[in-house]
Amino acid sequence: MKRIAHIALSLILMVAFQANAQNYYVYVTAESEDEVGLVKFDGKQAETIERIPVGKWPTEIEGPHGIAVSLDGKHWFLSMAHGNPYGTLYKYSTETNEIVGETQLGLFPATMQVSKATGLLYVVNFNLHGDMVPSTISVVDPVTMTEIKQVTAGVMPHGSRISHDGLYQYSVGMMSGDLLELNTVTLNVDRKLKLDEQSKMEGHSGMDHGQMDHSKMDHSKMDHDKMKHDGMFHSKVKPTWAIPHPDGKRVYVAGNGSDEILEIDLESWKVAGKLPGGKGPYNVEISPNGELLIVTYKSEGTTGIWNLKEKKELARIKNSRRVSHGVAISTDNKYAFISVEGIGGEPGAVDVISLTDFELIDTAELGKQAGGIAFWKIEQQ
Amino acid sequence: MKPAKLFRIGFTLCLSIFVMYSSDLYAQDQELRIKIEPENISIGLKDKAQIKATVVNDKDQAIAGRRVRFFTRDAKIAEVDSVGNIIPHAPGTCRIIVISPNASGNFLREDITINIKYPPLAKVEIQEMPEEIYAGTTIKLKANVYDQEGFKREDARLEYTSSNSQVITADVFGNFKAVKTGKAAIIAKVEGIEGRVNIKVIDNPVVKMELTSNTSEARTGDVIRFSAKAMDKKGNEVKDAPLAFAFQGEAYNVSQNASGLIKQDGRFVADEAGLYSITVSSGPFSASKTVNISPRDVKRKINLTGHGSVNDKHTSDFWIWEGVDGRDYGVTGTWGADGTAYFWDVTDPSNIIKIDSVQVDARTVNDVKISEDGKTCIISREGASSRKNGIVIIDVTNPRDANVIATFTENLTGGVHNLFIYEDHVYALSAGQKYYIINIKDRTKPYIVSKFELDTPGHAIHDVWVQDGIAYSSNWADGIQLVDVGNGIAGGSPENPVQFASYAYPNKASHAAFPFKSKSTGKFYVIGGDEIFPYGLDLKGENIAGGYLHFVDFSNLENPDEIARFELPMAGSHNYWVDEETETLYVAFYNGGVRVVDISGELMGDLYRQGREIAWIIPSDPNGYVPNAPFTWGAQLHKGHIFYSDWNSGLWSAKLEPIKPKDTKVESK
Repeated sequence: MKRIAHIALSLILMVAFQANAQNYYVYVTAESEDEVGLVKFDGKQAETIERIPVGKWPTEIEGPHGIAVSLDGKHWFLSMAHGNPYGTLYKYSTETNEIVGETQLGLFPATMQVSKATGLLYVVNFNLHGDMVPSTISVVDPVTMTEIKQVTAGVMPHGSRISHDGLYQYSVGMMSGDLLELNTVTLNVDRKLKLDEQSKMEGHSGMDHGQMDHSKMDHSKMDHDKMKHDGMFHSKVKPTWAIPHPDGKRVYVAGNGSDEILEIDLESWKVAGKLPGGKGPYNVEISPNGELLIVTYKSEGTTGIWNLKEKKELARIKNSRRVSHGVAISTDNKYAFISVEGIGGEPGAVDVISLTDFELIDTAELGKQAGGIAFWKIEQQ
Repeated sequence: MKPAKLFRIGFTLCLSIFVMYSSDLYAQDQELRIKIEPENISIGLKDKAQIKATVVNDKDQAIAGRRVRFFTRDAKIAEVDSVGNIIPHAPGTCRIIVISPNASGNFLREDITINIKYPPLAKVEIQEMPEEIYAGTTIKLKANVYDQEGFKREDARLEYTSSNSQVITADVFGNFKAVKTGKAAIIAKVEGIEGRVNIKVIDNPVVKMELTSNTSEARTGDVIRFSAKAMDKKGNEVKDAPLAFAFQGEAYNVSQNASGLIKQDGRFVADEAGLYSITVSSGPFSASKTVNISPRDVKRKINLTGHGSVNDKHTSDFWIWEGVDGRDYGVTGTWGADGTAYFWDVTDPSNIIKIDSVQVDARTVNDVKISEDGKTCIISREGASSRKNGIVIIDVTNPRDANVIATFTENLTGGVHNLFIYEDHVYALSAGQKYYIINIKDRTKPYIVSKFELDTPGHAIHDVWVQDGIAYSSNWADGIQLVDVGNGIAGGSPENPVQFASYAYPNKASHAAFPFKSKSTGKFYVIGGDEIFPYGLDLKGENIAGGYLHFVDFSNLENPDEIARFELPMAGSHNYWVDEETETLYVAFYNGGVRVVDISGELMGDLYRQGREIAWIIPSDPNGYVPNAPFTWGAQLHKGHIFYSDWNSGLWSAKLEPIKPKDTKVESK
């Protein structure tokens, strides 16, 4: 009898498991292919089930960069970096993957997100165009596809994400080295944090530079020709991403230039800690349950998985291409989807990483320079 | 309890709780709404109004703690502040979005359309009119309407009348005809506001018209100049008599219609062979002259000479040059691929040989150019994995061993789409916004000396070409820009580029610009080229492009005149080359292949319809990247051979047969 009960329980669990088998879908941009890929992952295998050509200027690479899914999952938004000269935001239907709206933005629009508190979309204009001047954040009404305001931001603003409550957007100025807190309701920049100053202070407060013997330094090895002497500030931290923690108390910033992840305490508005990781941390996401931080190390082609409570890197996984880029995490906290660019003519891809086993499960092939990535939905099989 | 039953009970319980909870939430949200007062707002530009928005429940009770925020969709018409005050800026309708934010995601939204009323019309301003006109002649009235706020009102529809229709009559288009001598006011009226000019109609002294021309025999495409004189009874010319030219004709080919163009300065050009009568009139008097137009007859046979295949990726721009060893070489870029540029030996155009390649970190090497001494190649980068893009300088002293000397990315990170090299300087586009001028006298240490950028709203640029110290750039909506970078015409230099002339045409598709100094006429044209893809682009199939070439006469730099065009039906222009010696244009028309065009003599009207096309050749390769899908990128004449690159098949060469005596029949294709 006990054996029969055991078999029955096993059958129930199997049925339950089968019933729980799920498909995961992510949208990914291929920046040098002018296409967006729709990737499906069934728990074991990942495949690109649709390649959607994007852009208007056929013989020029327009560079689909940022991608986001609407709150109701019925649309996806795509920022197209290059225009004449301004970039464009496109709105697509997830049902047909066809354009249903568009609006012009600023120079080189990049990362974006829709706020659940306002329903508006906030996209940073990266302005990767040479001149080191402050750029803007475009605020867009995604219903009518109208840019309703441009808010002044840092120099080359990038890596923007919105707080869990939808009330604040955080972005970083890659060249100015600042973290901006934009109030999504008032559209004012409430706070700005100079990350280079903060990064120096954190962990070095006890250092006495007066005791250093500068006379013994060999300055002849310095290449003065390559120095910029025009007073232009270039951040050493070179922040490329900001991700607020779901608890609303912290924001994590990828220090792409300083090879570290900075933890910013939102109450004190100071750097509260650092996570030293691999080379060139680029994009960062936090699992919806707030436990794990996933970071792409662009310079070494790996993905790091951090336990935020223990501040410990649990695993560093080699990606399938040499340039790791974006991160999207499934809403059930089980998988991380990593876009990986490739170099030159090498195609891009999406690596699926298990967040329970910390291993690369499968790779879906994409067009060149896979970049922006957005999680769409989980569907029962 | 059995596990299955336990599972069922637990599942049902959870589901019930979830349904109850979520339906409660749903019901709560559905009951709330934003109440907006007043529902309709229509105010004047100087009026004030406030939108009052309150979050209320289904009993119309205000909900405490729910704030609202106002956003305008069109700040040029009206702004709205944080408490709903409307600040009007211009007449029109404007949608205001009212949002009540909510950190749980249950935000509320209402949209309201407000109207900023147009101010009353204030004046009708009639442009300069003569005080006296001759009986029997017609004049056209032009007027602008302004409102009380000084806005020019294009929407105003004027009515035209005369105060005395016995003297002057009016039509609905603003044409006023002087019927007989006398006085009358011509009037333009709208919404009770009018503008008027008093006109005196005087005796018309003209009794005869005379019309002469510089020739009576011409070919299609030849511009004939007609001179007209209005004469009085004493045989004196009436110089202020208004003249109107017109023509009618009959084509020799009964299947064709007579067709041509006449300008009101007396220039006439025919598209079709036939007999044409040109008439000049002044009031009731007229004179005519007939001219005989024969076919232009410039067709020549063109022969395919050679092909250097690139069939594993798209090919982009190219350049052919004579190397330092006296042999002839070519370089081609690649598009949407792996950042490769190929080098070719084209000394024997019938045997094009790939001799080397350079691969850089890029997806597209859109443009390639070679220095005047044949030693330096520059290539553009887009889609670099480092996202630094910029340019790459390559030593091609020995093109069989092309070596990268330097990469230069400063201020060029957004991508370089096109570039040019001229007298030790590189002109490199930056992210489609401007071009930088880079000194490369020391090829290993390039440095920026200046940049050229327009200051118009939303300005953009596509290409730049430098000749005789003048940079010709094509700036999309801002058209063709002429910049002195060392010519001296405007005191410019590479370090101090000075813009001195420009011309923009309405379709905003200025994609290429090439100078053409016509020896036969002394005129200075700049040929502007469109790039338009009306049907998009299929990367793996056949394509049809649109757009054409605009011939702009820049002989008067302050008043350039768009005078002619070359438009090929069902194909679109791309890059081109002018041989000034023979006054011949070689133009790539994407799916239309290469077109060789006679641009000798004065140019006016529709050059294609005038039969100025000398020859055409279309590269079609069954083994191409996309098989049998010609998409020609550019063309260049080198030592009498026509070289052209094709997006799907690589580098090609062809040669025109010599001009045959007139009585020799040209073999048709």
